[in-house]
Amino acid sequence: MTVDKGNKLARVVHDSSSGRKLATDPKLDSSSQKRIGDQLRAMYDELMQQPVPDRFKELLDQLEKKNGGKGAAQ
Amino acid sequence: MSSEAEPDLREALLAAVPGLRAFAISLAGQVDRADDLVQDTLLRALSNLHRFEQGTNLNAWLFTILRNLFHSEYRKRRREIEDPDGSYVGRLKVHPAQGVHLDFEDFRSALAELPDDQREALLLIGASGFSYEEAAQICGCAVGTIKSRVNRARQRLAGMLKVDDVEDLGPDSMTRAALQG
Repeated sequence: MTVDKGNKLARVVHDSSSGRKLATDPKLDSSSQKRIGDQLRAMYDELMQQPVPDRFKELLDQLEKKNGGKGAAQ
Repeated sequence: MSSEAEPDLREALLAAVPGLRAFAISLAGQVDRADDLVQDTLLRALSNLHRFEQGTNLNAWLFTILRNLFHSEYRKRRREIEDPDGSYVGRLKVHPAQGVHLDFEDFRSALAELPDDQREALLLIGASGFSYEEAAQICGCAVGTIKSRVNRARQRLAGMLKVDDVEDLGPDSMTRAALQG
């Protein structure tokens, strides 16, 4: 009986110190991993820099007006 | 909760919006739908403020709400269009709203091909800046599950984007093509 594939405990162990690849959990080499990470963050940064649509500011302004002076609404 | 806390709360919620939008857009693949998700998240948060524990991570709480809304809506849609194997969702691509310019098309398409659980894990860890513990809380699963999903997501992305083959990878293939041309 082989338990290699289904051994979830092996996956939980964070293999950061050793550069060895576990047969059960093949890891990307660090440069590929870095490239994926860089692209992801670059894409995300662009999204983060989009201006906040007015609808959200208006929504939160309404909240402020509704609760203005009295804090017992919720 | 006092009324004096409200302006601070407004600022805190407003400050959280760009992160919530980036997550929602990356998760849902559509800006319009993502903005609806963010709006529903804010409304849900406001009506459940009494459940938020002061001093804990407001961002993680908001992301949890958004993530749960996304999944309940997704399940509902899947039932409605009878898509048990998710093939419709697999065909979803990014449709930016008018006037919104989105780059990184290759990367975005590859991201859209990932299963939802892997995509959200990768986004929370690799982009939104949450710890594995926070991501596990947001997704309602074990820390080890998050780690394994993130690993699988990276592997699949690497395979789709062929990062292994390319020595000098730019931000995307367009940049690469421009450099070569």
